[in-house]
Parts: sequence; structure tokens; C-alpha cells
Amino acid sequence: MAFDAPAALGSALSPRAMAWYRFSRNRQAWIGAFMVISVIFVALFAPLIAPFPDHAGAVVDFSHRHTPPNLTFPLGTDKVGRDILSRVIFGFRLSLLLVAGVLAIAVPLGAALGLSAAWCGGIIEKCVTGFTNVMLAIPPLVMALAIGNVLEPNLVNAMIAITLVWWTWHARLVYRVAKSVAAEDFIEAARLAGAGHLHILTREILPNCVSVISVKTTLDAAFVILFGATLSFLGLGVKPPTPDLGSMVADARQFLPEQWWEVLGPGLAIVYATLGFNLLGDGLRDMFDVEV
Amino acid sequence: MTLKVDRRTMILDCISAILKRLVGFIGVLCVLSLMIFILARVVPGDPARIALGPNATQTQVDALRASMGLDRPVIEQYALYLWNGLHGSFGKSLISGKSVNGEIAELLPATLELVIVAVLGIIVIAVPLGVITARYRNSWIDTIGRLVSIIGVTMPSFLFAIILQLAVANGLSHWPIIGRVDPALHPPAGPTGLLLVDSLIAARPEVFADAARHILLPALALAMAGIGQITRITRSAMIEHQRRDHVLTLKSFGVPERVIVWPYLLKLSSIAPLTVLGLEFASLIGNAFVVEMVFSWGGFASYGLEAILQKDLNAVMAVVLVSGLVFVTVNIVVDAIVMLIDPRLRLKEVR
Repeated sequence: MAFDAPAALGSALSPRAMAWYRFSRNRQAWIGAFMVISVIFVALFAPLIAPFPDHAGAVVDFSHRHTPPNLTFPLGTDKVGRDILSRVIFGFRLSLLLVAGVLAIAVPLGAALGLSAAWCGGIIEKCVTGFTNVMLAIPPLVMALAIGNVLEPNLVNAMIAITLVWWTWHARLVYRVAKSVAAEDFIEAARLAGAGHLHILTREILPNCVSVISVKTTLDAAFVILFGATLSFLGLGVKPPTPDLGSMVADARQFLPEQWWEVLGPGLAIVYATLGFNLLGDGLRDMFDVEV
Repeated sequence: MTLKVDRRTMILDCISAILKRLVGFIGVLCVLSLMIFILARVVPGDPARIALGPNATQTQVDALRASMGLDRPVIEQYALYLWNGLHGSFGKSLISGKSVNGEIAELLPATLELVIVAVLGIIVIAVPLGVITARYRNSWIDTIGRLVSIIGVTMPSFLFAIILQLAVANGLSHWPIIGRVDPALHPPAGPTGLLLVDSLIAARPEVFADAARHILLPALALAMAGIGQITRITRSAMIEHQRRDHVLTLKSFGVPERVIVWPYLLKLSSIAPLTVLGLEFASLIGNAFVVEMVFSWGGFASYGLEAILQKDLNAVMAVVLVSGLVFVTVNIVVDAIVMLIDPRLRLKEVR
């Protein structure tokens, strides 16, 4: 481990200040944070930032089809002459929408089930751990494909499919952490002091899980983006002409190797977003000093 | 707790622990089959109608429903499905009308071959990389290792596969970028279905060489995500165990580093990567869906993707169950290996 000034000073700093100190010293985490913020910013203001906002729709401009990257079209154009940069920017919007939709349901659900399994024990514990073990055995991609296609392939169903396979990971993680926290003395003390179940769960155990949950959620954002792109690459996602990073790559594959920019633009955009969330998540993990 | 355990009870304990896990995994497969079954039965749309197409008459659809058992109660259907499944029959494909078992048995070896080569690649590349990066921490080698693991974790495997294909097509124009083998070589058919093994059995080195050339790129594309993760985990496990007392003791006795690294450090540090590799098997099979598509591999995963996109429910159920079965089998093997490595786990099971 590198020399750590506050650690050397002993307990001169509060744990929170220590954590912030570790984060602020971490260059990778800052880069990650910048990348994540830039993706969110671009996605939020897509219509204002994209050079050709209408190209996110069903525009056809055959005079500019398959144009290599130049000053007007920094990432080139696709098979019907739409600006790839504009479509990538709107593609971020869709990816983040997917992330928000999946994590907004999967994280609270997984956390609630993991917590109750760890605290209540008995049949609930058996059910939750047993079910998560079952879900572990199926390739998430296959399961999501099967669910998504059995329903109708569109964004909402892709979200449902991913959420259904995703909450189990959070449940496992929260269960593991909560189980070890529940064995601590201060929980016993709280119980002896007459605290109710709800109080112990939400005020004693949950705060100790927050750091793990937030690290896992940040890293998960990257996985959900990857996962969603893979699903739409395989043909399960939004319908054209809505711009989606995965299906843009799939569409452009037939024009390889001549029109390489049509694959590389959206492809590297996916890498940019996932890299940002990964670096930020790793930084947060070092900051909270937890294992995910 | 006494540490005097004779070899015979130790082996027996090992076997009983593994049997216990086996029972658990069978439970996993049963619940999995029930889930898939429910999923397949809540599908909007009639499987018989999907199979026959929109032009079939209602009588034809009803006849097929009856022959598929769809007119019976769901519980009965599930019992029947389980019964047939136990006898090794997953029914007929709704699209091609062929037996699902036959098609899967024919195609599974191709995917297994790909996955096995990918796993070998992960072990051969990631473990040494993890060991070296842990040994030379914060040097340029460590930076390369970090870069590899970041690419592995952040790059979607379809993009990595396409970039590999593109790079090889431009650089080495003779290198094959799709398919399993050059059909002009008339590869031997059987007995294992693993082309690399079959060609050796049939003493056909030219087929072996061609198959090896074909498998290299897809296996690398498939292995990339695992390489990233396993490098990371091996590195941190090595670093963690370097600080352990018994390793420090060996060091202070002046035992040479190469002696410490192999039997003492690596053996201990291989437990975490092995376990993760076992759990990663599910996503390896999942990623095979993508990689097989890009490289036109034509294995079990391609079959599964086709089945899912065409809503061929019998085939979809079989594909998910077989994936689960492969995962469960691999993890039992991994558990057994980990127990052989780590005596604490063997003892924990009996305590």
C-alpha cells in the first residue's frame, strides 16, 4: 500500500474524511467521475448537443450515405446518411434510461429481500438464498433473451427481462453483508435496549450496507449498459429508427470492413460509458474499502 | 478440533461433502425447470399456432395441441415434461419438427469445444499475468495487466470479436475468420464431436491444425472477459497471501522466491480465481451466444439464439436447462478441486 498520510496520523480524521481523502487522491476515480458525468450530461441535453438532432429519427439522406468521418460528421454517417455522432448521443439516452429503469427496481428489491433473508432467517432465508442459487446457474444473457423474446421485443420488455435476472445479485450481496452485520454486538445491544425489528433493519443494519450497495450499483450500471447493448446486438431491443448503441453495431456489421467507422463509433461509445462507470465504481470501492 | 485426520476419513468426508452439494444442485435444476416451464406457458400466443403458422385451420391447431399435450392441465403438463426430461427427451422442435435432443446432442460439442479452449486460454493467460503483476506491483507490467483487465471488463464481447475479425482480416488475410474447419478437408465425424480431439484420434494432423487455427479467434474473444476478471482476482489474492505469516516466515528463512511462489503462494491463491471461474461459466455460455453469431460457429448457442428468436418453446426450454446442467456439472468439479486444495474446507464440512 502506498504511503497514506492520514492513516499515519492515526485517528486524527473521521472515517468520512478519511474516505473522502482516499477518493480525492485517486486519479482513476476522478477520470471515471468525469466520464460518467459527461455521459449523463450529453444524454440529458441530447437535443441541444447533437449536431443533427433529427437524425435520431427516420431521416434519409442518400447523398451523404456511408460518408467517412469529416468535420461536418465527426463519426461519419450510416447506410441512409444519418450522422452517427448524433445517433450515438441519443443512444446514450436510451442506455441510461435502461440503466435507471433496471437499477431503480432491482436494487431496492434485491436489498429488501437480502435484508429480510438475513434478519428473519427460517423459511424466508431458505427461499431467497435457494432462488438466487438457481438464478446463478442460468446464463443471465440466455435468461434475459428468453424472457424478453417470449414477451414482445421492445425497450420496456428488455428492462423487465434484465431486472428479473438482476435483482438476485443484489440480494446475494446484501444478504452476505447484512448477515455479518447482524452478528455484531451493537445489534444485540439494540435488541436488548428494546428496538423493534423495523428499527434494527432500517437504522442499524441498512446504513452498514449502503456503501456496498452504492459501489455495486455503480459497477452494475456499466454491466447493464453492456448487457443491454448485447441484447440489442442480438436483435432484442428497440425497434428502428430509435438509435440504440448495440443495434447500431449490429446494423453496421454488414458494411465491414469498408465502412469501419459505423461499427467503431457506437462500439467505442459503449466502451466509454462502461469504462467511466467501472473506474468510478473502483474508486468508490477503494474509498469505502469494501469488497463487492 | 484435532488436526489428526487420517486419509481414509478425509476422502470419505470429501465425497460426502460433494454428494451434499450434488443434491443441492439437483434441487437447483428442478426449480429451474419449473421456472422455465411457467415462463413458457405464460407466453402470449399458442405454441401450436406458432408452429403451424397463420394459414393452418383451427382443427389442425387443435390436433397439434392434443398431440403436444397442451389441452391438459398445466400441472399435468409439467409432470409429463419432467418425466420425459428424466428419460432424456425434451420433445420436438416446434419449427423443424426434429427431436430437440438430437439437435442439441449434435451441436453441443461444438460449443463445449469453444468454451473449453476459452477456459484453457483464461488459465494460461490470466493466472501467469496475475502472478507477474502481483510480483512486480506498480511497474509497467502491472500497467499492462490493468489495461488488459479493464478492456476485458468494459468491452462488450461482440465488439471485441468484431475488432479481432477486422484486424486479422486486414493483417493476416489467410487466417480463417468464420466457421469451425475448412469443409474441403472432410473432417472426421465423431466419436466425441470435439473436432480437436476427433482429428487426433483419426490421426489427421492437417485437420487438427486447421481446426486449431479456426478456434483461436473465437476462443480469444470468448475468453477476454474472463481473462480480465481472473487476472484481477489472481493478482489481489497473491498480494493478500504474500502478507500471511507463513509466507513471511519462509521469506525470513531465506527460501528462494520461486520456491515460495509455486507451492505455497499460488496454491492458496488459486482458490478465489477457481471459484470465480466456476461461477463465471454461466456468463461464458451466455457470451458464446454472441461469439458464435459473429464467427458463424454453428454450435449449441447459435441453435439457442435461433430457437429464442423464433419462439421455439421446446427448444428454448431445453437450451436453458442444458445451460444450467453444464453450469452445475462444472461447479461440482470446481468444488471438488477447491476441496482438494484447501484442507480447511474439507474439515469445515464435517464440523
